[in-house]
Amino acid sequence: MSAAHNAVAPEDARAVDPVTVAVIQGALENIAVEMGYRLMRMSYSSIIRESEDFGAGLVDASGRGLAESAQSTPLQSGPIPGYVRGITRLLAERGEEVHPGDVIMHNDAYSGASHGPDVAFMVPVFHRDRLVAWAGTTAHHLDIGALTPGSCGIVDAIDAYAEGLQFRAIKVYERGHRVRPVWQILRDNIRVSDLVVGDMEAQIAAARIGARRFEALVDRYGIETLQRACEAAMDHAERLMRQAIARLPDGEYTATTHIDGYADSEDPSRRELPLVATVRVRGDEMEVDLTGTASQVPDAPINMPLVGTVDIAIWLTIRSVLLDTAVHGHIPVNDGLTRPIRIVAPRGCLANPIFPAPTIARFCPGNQLADTVMKALAQAAPRQVSAGIGNLKVIAFSGLRDEKHWVHMEIFEGSYGGRHGRDGMDAVDTLYANTRNNPIEDIESHLPLRVSRYELREDVCGAGKWRGGLGSIREFEYLDDGGASVEGEGHCFAPWGFDAGGDGKPARLRLRAGGAPLDLPSKVPHMRIARGSRFECAGPAGGGYGPPLERDPARVLDDVLDGIISVATAERDYGVVIGTEGAVDAEATRALRAARGG
Amino acid sequence: MKLIGVDVGGTFTDLVYTDTDDATVVTHKTPTTPDDPSSGVIAGALELCRRAGVDPAAIDHLLHGTTIATNAVLEHDGAVAGMITTEGYRDIVHIGRHQRPQHYSIMQEIPWQDRPLVRRRHRKTVRERLVAPSGAVMTPLDEEGVRRAARELRDAGVRSVAICFLFSYLDPVHEDRARELVLEEHPDCFVTTSSSISPQFREFERFTTAAMNAFIGPKVRTYVTDLERRMSEAGLGCDLHVMGSNGGAATAKMVSEKPVLTLLSGPAAGVLGGAWSGALSGYENLITFDVGGTSADIGIVVDGTFAEASARDTWIGGYPVLAPMIDIHTIGAGGGSIAHLDAGGAFQVGPRSAGARPGPAAYGHGGDRPTVTDAHVVLGRLDPENFLGGEMALDVAASRRVIEAFAREVGMSTEATAAGVLTVVNANMANAIRSRTVQKGLDPRDFALVAFGGAGPLHAVDVAALLGIPRVIVPAFPGITSAVGLLTTDLKYDAIRTEFQVSDAVDLARLDADFDAMQAQLSAQLAADGVDPSRVRHVRAGDLRYVGQGYELRVPVQPGPVTEATIERLLADFAAAHEAEYGHLFADSPVEIVNIRLTAAGEIAKIGPPALDGGPDLDAAEVRTAPCHFTVDGAVRALPTRFLDRTRLPRGVVITGPAVILQTDTTTVVPPGCAVSADARGNLVIDIGGAT
Repeated sequence: MSAAHNAVAPEDARAVDPVTVAVIQGALENIAVEMGYRLMRMSYSSIIRESEDFGAGLVDASGRGLAESAQSTPLQSGPIPGYVRGITRLLAERGEEVHPGDVIMHNDAYSGASHGPDVAFMVPVFHRDRLVAWAGTTAHHLDIGALTPGSCGIVDAIDAYAEGLQFRAIKVYERGHRVRPVWQILRDNIRVSDLVVGDMEAQIAAARIGARRFEALVDRYGIETLQRACEAAMDHAERLMRQAIARLPDGEYTATTHIDGYADSEDPSRRELPLVATVRVRGDEMEVDLTGTASQVPDAPINMPLVGTVDIAIWLTIRSVLLDTAVHGHIPVNDGLTRPIRIVAPRGCLANPIFPAPTIARFCPGNQLADTVMKALAQAAPRQVSAGIGNLKVIAFSGLRDEKHWVHMEIFEGSYGGRHGRDGMDAVDTLYANTRNNPIEDIESHLPLRVSRYELREDVCGAGKWRGGLGSIREFEYLDDGGASVEGEGHCFAPWGFDAGGDGKPARLRLRAGGAPLDLPSKVPHMRIARGSRFECAGPAGGGYGPPLERDPARVLDDVLDGIISVATAERDYGVVIGTEGAVDAEATRALRAARGG
Repeated sequence: MKLIGVDVGGTFTDLVYTDTDDATVVTHKTPTTPDDPSSGVIAGALELCRRAGVDPAAIDHLLHGTTIATNAVLEHDGAVAGMITTEGYRDIVHIGRHQRPQHYSIMQEIPWQDRPLVRRRHRKTVRERLVAPSGAVMTPLDEEGVRRAARELRDAGVRSVAICFLFSYLDPVHEDRARELVLEEHPDCFVTTSSSISPQFREFERFTTAAMNAFIGPKVRTYVTDLERRMSEAGLGCDLHVMGSNGGAATAKMVSEKPVLTLLSGPAAGVLGGAWSGALSGYENLITFDVGGTSADIGIVVDGTFAEASARDTWIGGYPVLAPMIDIHTIGAGGGSIAHLDAGGAFQVGPRSAGARPGPAAYGHGGDRPTVTDAHVVLGRLDPENFLGGEMALDVAASRRVIEAFAREVGMSTEATAAGVLTVVNANMANAIRSRTVQKGLDPRDFALVAFGGAGPLHAVDVAALLGIPRVIVPAFPGITSAVGLLTTDLKYDAIRTEFQVSDAVDLARLDADFDAMQAQLSAQLAADGVDPSRVRHVRAGDLRYVGQGYELRVPVQPGPVTEATIERLLADFAAAHEAEYGHLFADSPVEIVNIRLTAAGEIAKIGPPALDGGPDLDAAEVRTAPCHFTVDGAVRALPTRFLDRTRLPRGVVITGPAVILQTDTTTVVPPGCAVSADARGNLVIDIGGAT
């Protein structure tokens, strides 16, 4: 065990036996799961219940994460400790105190929140007048009163004020009493407020359950034992991460990728912006340095909050690569996992913006940052990564029906790059996003929309010994007049191939509204859409892994038979000749591959 | 009536015979014959008849629990299946909900992509489209396209086809027509339509369920046909019924067509057996707790009725399945679960198991990892001379060796380590029960825990104590509770319709007509099975949610014509259920009736209470007194403990712990502070903290 580890393991953490630690660890996870379960099932908006764009977790009094819900999306549960630290700081600055019965609402992207629409409700847990923990939930709300309907696709917000309401540690319950004026402000300033306020109430109900369960745990084990067990659990997670980092060769690994930004802008500082990550491994510690990343865009919301988005993207990627669940089994998620990792981001860059630079549309840039970190890690752990991922896109569909707003946000999936020994995952959410689509049969039963196509995008993929995952084709038709806004990435840059694998293919978005089809950039502010118009979204295809000429011809044949690639592609990309009777022509394949030096 | 229940598990086939006229009960256990399961069933049934002294021809019913469908899924060993689906939606079953099973994993597998039930080359599309909400035809069915697809699939060697069209739950017209066309082109084909399996919305889940039925269908059909033939050859001329996941029996024919309904056949029978056993002693609120070598199955019974899983929570082998299933929660914790320190030094038990081979070190088959069973042996709780009725000797030295080695790793004493293994596995089990009770608004203190399976009664009291459950029940035949459960069931069929009706504008006439139609359909089914209409019960329910929500709650619908009062009651019940389950309700929000359901149960003969005699007094039951370790006031201590033979326990005599009760198929541990007695109905009833 390293000296560094001994330094961070306090003596009293050893005083509690490992059996008790295991039991308390299980109990903490159980509480987080229960909070998540209740929130997901109670909530109204599909972005929470179907997309699972919510989080639930327990945090100690000093803002260290103790447990997170197993459902939910990593980008929601991960930031909860940061919310608590932000709330604590703001309350201290204002000289306010926390009391039993308080519920605090928070969404300040410059104080730990992931971005404005991800509103947290935090419930403090007391033991004999002393604050000992927080139970909280976060959720992506349909609308928080931005300039246009919905909370995605607000790509033209010019500053933090244009993004909607800002809640900086606001008490919505004080000592158990509902703070009515605050709730009235919410009702009056948020579109579809019935749904949004309902979801907020569900969040509070779930957070209160978590707080109650934590109190019961304190009663059962006593606060000292409980806190020692929490320390031991965090130390345990830290050890796992340190061991994983120590297995990497020491060194400095740099990677660059690009985001589209505003591809249709004439201003070069707004488009095709570099993201740079340098991973420095020294022993069992790691530094991720984002120096070289483009400067912030002061008046467009693709800036990424350092705490709440950038840190989560980095931790998520490192954890998924180094402590992959499929390889290492279940690993408890708590503060310990992040201790050996230091993040450096120059102030004023895209990954550490300065208030009031807007941040609401940071979702896709943040996922591209996660991909950049993976690209850097690929040099140190080539068998544990995928080639470049295809990034995501959100369309906020909206309209007025019977004088009331309807808003529906749909996340369009990306795909993974090829992996050592495995092809990439097809048409899934990638890296820090892991949401769910909405069933077609639900959408069409409740909204004036028709999903007119949903299948794999054929014959477009990153060639490789292990090919990249396929994108999807998904089409939405309007059955009524309405509006839409688009927030996405990956139209301009193909996912990277790895180890001689081919690059993947960018995404594409086309609008058919009578007349010639219109190819759209990855970000489109709110626009009116006429009945009968149709979005055709072609998802990105992940990068290939390893030389395509080394791909097993039987696998190439399988792809041809499955209609995933054409016979011509098999020959062009893989040097595999498929005979007329639908079998590999082994001799011709050998000859062709030899001629290409394969 | 003379009945036989046969439950085929992975290792053993359990059989029970009863004559309902004189309450005779005879049991038998025989190794499963995995390569040819029906031969094991027949041989076992004939041996059971011999032991019971009954002519096989005199048997009236044979009820069967089988894992044949489940294993086909888990081992991915099914038919080359095809699919015909709506043009434009070829990959619904491949894309799924676009969510990865794991958040934090690059190398993970996605079951529906890496192990498709129907490969893409065998997924054909045809022009057709219905639209919501009416189910109106927007694009007529391309009949020639269906024929062409059927021929292509036939020529590609496909023997089983799933027909999966969007919105078919609103009107099965296109799926039904396509089925006819496929059979015309490919008469030997096993055809499944998604609307006949599960006519409810959510296309990925419905299509996957249909694809799974297509994948396992031919295999299950062959098995059932084979079994029926062999039964009649062996002189067992009775009806064959198969246990469904819904906790009811179905006819052999029904199961041959819809094998996907039997995926939880065995575990469902276990819950029924547990519920039946508890009811014998007058307990109607029960948590069933079936612990074997690798896993623990947990079921919930409220007012004598088992809970059914929500349609969004039912998965098999990583695939979603939209079929009625008893709510059974399984965790990887059992007698074979291995204790270890992970790479970071955390104390863990399971989910990896030593299984049956090599099994725990105590089995003497070369197991060299410390398991839960070894911890019991070290603590003196398992009797090495009387394990499995003395059929298997336990290697105490081997258990001690592996636990001592682990204790050195952990840095605790051998006994404390062994007790720690049990503490951790019991906490895992208690957490699993908590997730099915406390998290859903049920208070475990209102329940009794029915423990069975080889390891259930070893853990039951400690687990109950963690949850505040006041009482544990150990049935008379804990090792064959599933087989007994088979003989407690009815014939049971389910119907469902998706409604999407909102509370402020309910179409009463439509609901009424739909309930009537479902009732007519199921009545016809039961009549065809030969059930007298006077013996049929109908139960109505609705799946409701607040408008905008995505998860429904099941609420009973009152029988009779649907009126304003019916709806009023339904909405009130929904609000109460919502508050109970989530701790919150939305008073002013409109409610959506998403689905309505009807279950028809046709009564069949059942097993009665077993006629069992006890011994004359406690002394006759005592095997010996020996030290056994228990955790008392936080310390592990050896206490003199009475080991008692269950078959000789006198009825109604209260025994205070510590005690260990031995029988051939399990061991019951009664810690200090608890009191146990054998009651008149054959159950052991343990009061937690009941010793005075």
